[in-house]
Amino acid sequence: MNKQTKKPEAKGPENVIRTKGVMKCYGEEGKCVVTVLQDVNVGIERGSFVSIMGPSGSGKTTLLDIIGCLLKPTQGEVFIDGVRTADLSDDELAEIRREKIGFIFQQYNLIPSISAMENVEISLRIAGKSNWEARDKAKRLLEMVGLKDRLKNRPSELSGGEQQRVAIARALANDPKIILGDEPTGNLDTKTGELILDILKDLNEKEGYTIVVVTHDPRIAKHTHKIINLLDGRVVREDHNGKKA
Amino acid sequence: MWDLALKNILRNRTRTILTVLGILIGIGSIVALGSIAEGIDASVQSSLQLTASKITVQPAGSGLFSIGNDVTQEDLDLLQGIGGVQDIVPVVIDLGNIQSFSGPEYIVIGIEPDKTQYFVGENVEMYQGRPLEEGDSGAAMIGSTIAERYNIQVGDSWTVQDEDFEIVGIIEETGISDIDASILVTLEDLQAVLETDSYYSVYVIPDDVKDTEKIAAEIEDASEDLQALTSQEIARQASEIVDQIRFFTFGIGAIAAFVGGLGVMNTMIMAVLERRREIGVMKAIGATNRMVLTQILTESALISLIGGLGGIGLGMGASFLLSAGFGGQITPVVTPVLALEGLSFALFLGVIGGLYPARKASKLDPVEALRYE
Repeated sequence: MNKQTKKPEAKGPENVIRTKGVMKCYGEEGKCVVTVLQDVNVGIERGSFVSIMGPSGSGKTTLLDIIGCLLKPTQGEVFIDGVRTADLSDDELAEIRREKIGFIFQQYNLIPSISAMENVEISLRIAGKSNWEARDKAKRLLEMVGLKDRLKNRPSELSGGEQQRVAIARALANDPKIILGDEPTGNLDTKTGELILDILKDLNEKEGYTIVVVTHDPRIAKHTHKIINLLDGRVVREDHNGKKA
Repeated sequence: MWDLALKNILRNRTRTILTVLGILIGIGSIVALGSIAEGIDASVQSSLQLTASKITVQPAGSGLFSIGNDVTQEDLDLLQGIGGVQDIVPVVIDLGNIQSFSGPEYIVIGIEPDKTQYFVGENVEMYQGRPLEEGDSGAAMIGSTIAERYNIQVGDSWTVQDEDFEIVGIIEETGISDIDASILVTLEDLQAVLETDSYYSVYVIPDDVKDTEKIAAEIEDASEDLQALTSQEIARQASEIVDQIRFFTFGIGAIAAFVGGLGVMNTMIMAVLERRREIGVMKAIGATNRMVLTQILTESALISLIGGLGGIGLGMGASFLLSAGFGGQITPVVTPVLALEGLSFALFLGVIGGLYPARKASKLDPVEALRYE
């Protein structure tokens, strides 16, 4: 962080996520056997809603994992909210995930043994919030996503749509800058999927969250400002749907 | 994180209960066996109170608990010649009804009637009847534990080596097991019954307490065959033996508890495997490796703490039952130190057993863990 040039790097809106020459490959002992991503350069503006599309195996999820600091690129750099992640330790990456990023998964990934409230609380407790503070905020977030009456229910007692709303509340718990969704509507019927999409759109438009979703559903993609199309690990095209392009 | 840990270990109740049982039984045996050692310690300590300034003379090399009556008449004569001595009290002993585990149920002591105070103390009161008197023959004075156990009244008889003795007195309970579980007869009578003219040991009472060590040294110089133990020496030897017993009993219990610790490890390895995905989620939402490690360790510590507390309870119960079985000679006691030892050992096992699975969990790759089905 000791670069002298402190002037803003771009003239236009600031990129809250930026990747530079990101390459990811798997193999034994440094050898590249399978290349999943190649030379990925994307910028995602603060406050935009972006989708990543592509056939299966195109590297969508890997790109999302790299943006979400769950995975380190083999080559290249990632900047999250101005922070270069390449040299960060595991703990520092965890801190970025905790403070700047909220995850939503296709499988919801709630902890089955505890209630909806506690699933949201846990995110707050991990961030060091007091018991009381965590409870208070978890309750507000769940009310916000319309689960006021389901606070005490365990995931198994909730529908898929309800579970995903709990997951959204959990993702919002620590006021992140970015929400990342890996096929967030993939397991839901069309109607419920639309409901989840509406919530995400609201969060983007009214609260200003930057949202990135991986999807193969064009109906979702058409609601986003930008579509990053991947094929065989490369960005082949970026479509802009106007508005915030 | 304790609340979450509790919920997590309750997810698979049967497995958790079985794991807790493993620890519980281990710690229970540590506490129960330890309580016997403490009981022996208490019993030894209480009998030591009596030996304040007397020197106990026994055959050389016989240790604290010799069994034979091996001090000869010659030895006694030799002791008579030592200066600065107030009294010399020869004693013969017959260990009655030795049980392999709990030791003798009672001890028959042959002692000169006018010197019984050196064995039972100065201010002993009679519960019933009278003390032994000079000129008594075929008479016995017994401790309260014996009287109670065998439901004996004054006037009843007691058999030592086929010889009947009439009970002339019952001593008021003293709380000192050596006295309460003893049967006192005259020296002559017991020597006759045992067909011996030698003694088990001889108490030498110095004129001046300050000379105790000096006189003891003098006795040992005078005869190679004798050892003269002062109360300090006896206390030292006794505590050595009690320490050995403590170490031994802890060792046996520790083996059982260690197996319980392996159970904890097994359970936690399974739990981590089952919850891979969840651990991945925890990491994705920002938990550090350390937080995951702490979470798993907390769970295994909780299991072992519950087992430890239960084990202390079990140990106390067993100790209570054992003390009924020992019948007064030794009263097993669960001291706070012993309970604390048990609990710390349980915690130690929990942390050690949890360490490997916790490290495994903390090193899980979140991406892999999240895709795990």
